[in-house]
Amino acid sequence: MTVIMQAPEVAPRLESDAEIKLCIDDLSVYYGSFQAIKHASLKVPENCVMALIGPSGCGKSTFIRALNRMHDLAPDVRVEGTVTLDGEDIYAKDVDPVTIRHRIGMVFQRPNPFPKSIFENAVYGPRIHGVRSRKRLMEIAERSLRHAALWDEVKDRLDKSALDLSGGQQQRLCIARVLAVEPEVILMDEPASALDPIATSKIEDLIGELKKEYTVVIVTHSMQQAARISDYTAFFLMGELVEIGNTRDIFFKPRDKRTEDYITGRYG
Amino acid sequence: MAMMATAGSAAARNTAAQRRTMNSLMTGLLWAAALSMIGLLLFFVGYILYLGAPVISWHFLTSPPSEVAAGGGIGPEIYNSFYILFLTLLFTTPIATAGGIYLQEYARPGLFTSLVQFCAESLSTIPSIVMGLFGMLVFVDLFHWSFSAIGGALTLTILNLPALMRVTQEALQTVPRTYREGSMALGATKWQTIRRVVLPSAIAPLTTGIVLIAGRIFGETAALIFTAGTSVSVGHSAYDLGLFHQAETLSVHLWYTHSEAVVPDVTKIGNGSALVLLVMVLVFNISARLLGRALSKRLTGK
Amino acid sequence: MGSGRAHAQERIASTALFLASVFVIVAMGAIIIYLAFMGLQLFFKDHVSPLVFLFSPNFSPDDGHPGSLVFILGSVFITAFAICVGGPFGVAVGIFLSQLAPKRLATFMKPTIEILVGIPSVVYGWLGLTLLAPFIREHLGSQTGFGLLTAGIVLSIMILPTVISLAEDALRAVPHSLEEGSMALGATQWQTIWSVMLPAARSGLTVAVILGIARAIGEALAVQMVIGNSAILPKGLLSPTAALTTEIVTDMGSAQEGTVLYHSLFTMAFLLLLIAMALILAVRFALRRNA
Repeated sequence: MTVIMQAPEVAPRLESDAEIKLCIDDLSVYYGSFQAIKHASLKVPENCVMALIGPSGCGKSTFIRALNRMHDLAPDVRVEGTVTLDGEDIYAKDVDPVTIRHRIGMVFQRPNPFPKSIFENAVYGPRIHGVRSRKRLMEIAERSLRHAALWDEVKDRLDKSALDLSGGQQQRLCIARVLAVEPEVILMDEPASALDPIATSKIEDLIGELKKEYTVVIVTHSMQQAARISDYTAFFLMGELVEIGNTRDIFFKPRDKRTEDYITGRYG
Repeated sequence: MAMMATAGSAAARNTAAQRRTMNSLMTGLLWAAALSMIGLLLFFVGYILYLGAPVISWHFLTSPPSEVAAGGGIGPEIYNSFYILFLTLLFTTPIATAGGIYLQEYARPGLFTSLVQFCAESLSTIPSIVMGLFGMLVFVDLFHWSFSAIGGALTLTILNLPALMRVTQEALQTVPRTYREGSMALGATKWQTIRRVVLPSAIAPLTTGIVLIAGRIFGETAALIFTAGTSVSVGHSAYDLGLFHQAETLSVHLWYTHSEAVVPDVTKIGNGSALVLLVMVLVFNISARLLGRALSKRLTGK
Repeated sequence: MGSGRAHAQERIASTALFLASVFVIVAMGAIIIYLAFMGLQLFFKDHVSPLVFLFSPNFSPDDGHPGSLVFILGSVFITAFAICVGGPFGVAVGIFLSQLAPKRLATFMKPTIEILVGIPSVVYGWLGLTLLAPFIREHLGSQTGFGLLTAGIVLSIMILPTVISLAEDALRAVPHSLEEGSMALGATQWQTIWSVMLPAARSGLTVAVILGIARAIGEALAVQMVIGNSAILPKGLLSPTAALTTEIVTDMGSAQEGTVLYHSLFTMAFLLLLIAMALILAVRFALRRNA
């Protein structure tokens, strides 16, 4: 099967025939002088869902934001180590973060649709990347909204404000917005944490669909969610990548005592 | 309970009563201060209305001013006030919003940013009469434009630049960080994010701020006396678009008739002009609010 | 492709935005240099001693003796008056808005303050002229009604909006937990305001007062319409006198370029510029001390 990883004493190497999509090597992230991520290394194979779990404040959000250079937006954050996408270092000097974010999309914790119409939200990406034709934009909007399982609910009111949608619909719109850009990797930072159970299960079903075409890395605070949707799971604790493996293995036979403590609920 | 009511607590009860009295007294004073401020404004508005209303007529609002005889109007002055306001906004809005965007979205903390900030703050405290003298040196003396609408407008451009930059920065601050992240995460450049998401989301407070500043520009006086001049028609029509013609505004006219002019009906002109100026302030304030509300309603679809 | 164009746009936009903020520096630099150049001519070209300019009460520029003490004192006095009267009043309204005002009253008062800001200074001057001056003439025994007191009162009202909104902001910035902590110890609302809120907001309130001073000392026309405009040392509150700004307004129109009068008016303008910058530095100092 697959995967991942490294730091020999933490976990054995799992062989994979899948292509490695993202390869993170010795990644550290600092907020000022505080080191939020400590030398994490990890490989993400293509067309799978990888979940990042850990207690709040463990650095999983910080980690995922390093994967499409979102930290560039904050002045006092420093990233060390390498992240490669298809073998190409995204932090290399001549690489433009904008192109990287085009290829690696991101869905955030709270739905953040722009204060525009549903249609304009869906086609925001294609528009900024130069698509002009109304017909083409309409096709993209329909395809990505269908893909995000939102089309039937909004097809009659595409010109209404996206802010009128429910929280779950807004989040699916945000996913549609990312799909419209046709990225290769989709990063999700606790995409269901602000949603009710029904909306959450819709998002989870959607993620299962998405991995057919995309590589998905998802941060979640819910172990059940990680168990339901992911192929691989990485466990973070206090900025350290403790363990990584097949989701089944992580949950049923964790190798690290700390992982086991967390899985069995000892960290709350 | 009985144990508590010892002799010692009589003193405590006493100070508690004193504290309550003091509290009522002081909060009462604060209420009085606030209410008297509202009263003051209502009184001003009422008084100016009382003085000015009898003066206002179609003739007064549309006729040219008179040099020596009574019966002059303020038509060209109203026109000039709007004309200079228009020119000023034309120059100051792009520069100030651009500067505000740079400071809010692009600038990283450092020497340059603190220098810009210090200059903006200093610029905003320079007395407008001093700014007027600077405008005179540059536009009247150096450029040989004499007193001109454009000279006045450019002086007001510099004068209002820091306030409008501030308004821009504050408007941009109201836009949630998540909008920016959402756009950037879709592969938008910073400028695309600003132009397509951030600015449209900030349009309501931005518009409100610009209209409020427009109200101040409309009433600005000291910076215009020595730059746009105190006359409306020297060798040209009073209502033309001549950038290089003298352009006395309404507020300048109010000051000028009082302090320099020889017409006998100074009081009447002053009362009427004061009323028109006050009404314009109210109009700008109300439209700023209505416009802001309408825009934010359209934006959120609610 | 699309991406290349987006990049070109990004470069153009960020450069343009950068240049706009450079413009602020250029404008400020030009103002300082130009006014310094004109203002210092009095000392370097006309060879007037700075001591004469600053400390002589005898303003006779035609005799080469432009002593400006009267104007300086006039500015200082009316500013001090405005701060002593308008300052506490403004802070009181600021306290009211941030601590006591019912929500609906507060939303009503915000536009009220905006309107007070928006009223042109000539209209304040006109009110002083038609309302205050006659009142003072009739009831306080002044001959003209014009003078320090009239100008001081007009200025007190004009600085109110500045002081109110800055004081309100300063008090709103105080963490709510401080207020709750004090109330939970059984302090009355006024005790909380007096011994917790005001000290905690001290630097912000200082800024409110400093910017009130800046507003007052730079006001020209409203003061010029009611101060009486005579270059004599005032003998009392009711005496007519003049201030730096009003002297510029009164004489600039008739000053011949190159004369001692012309130069001395620019020296006054330069002095006002220096005062404004000093006040900004004071604001920065007050805020830094807090942090």
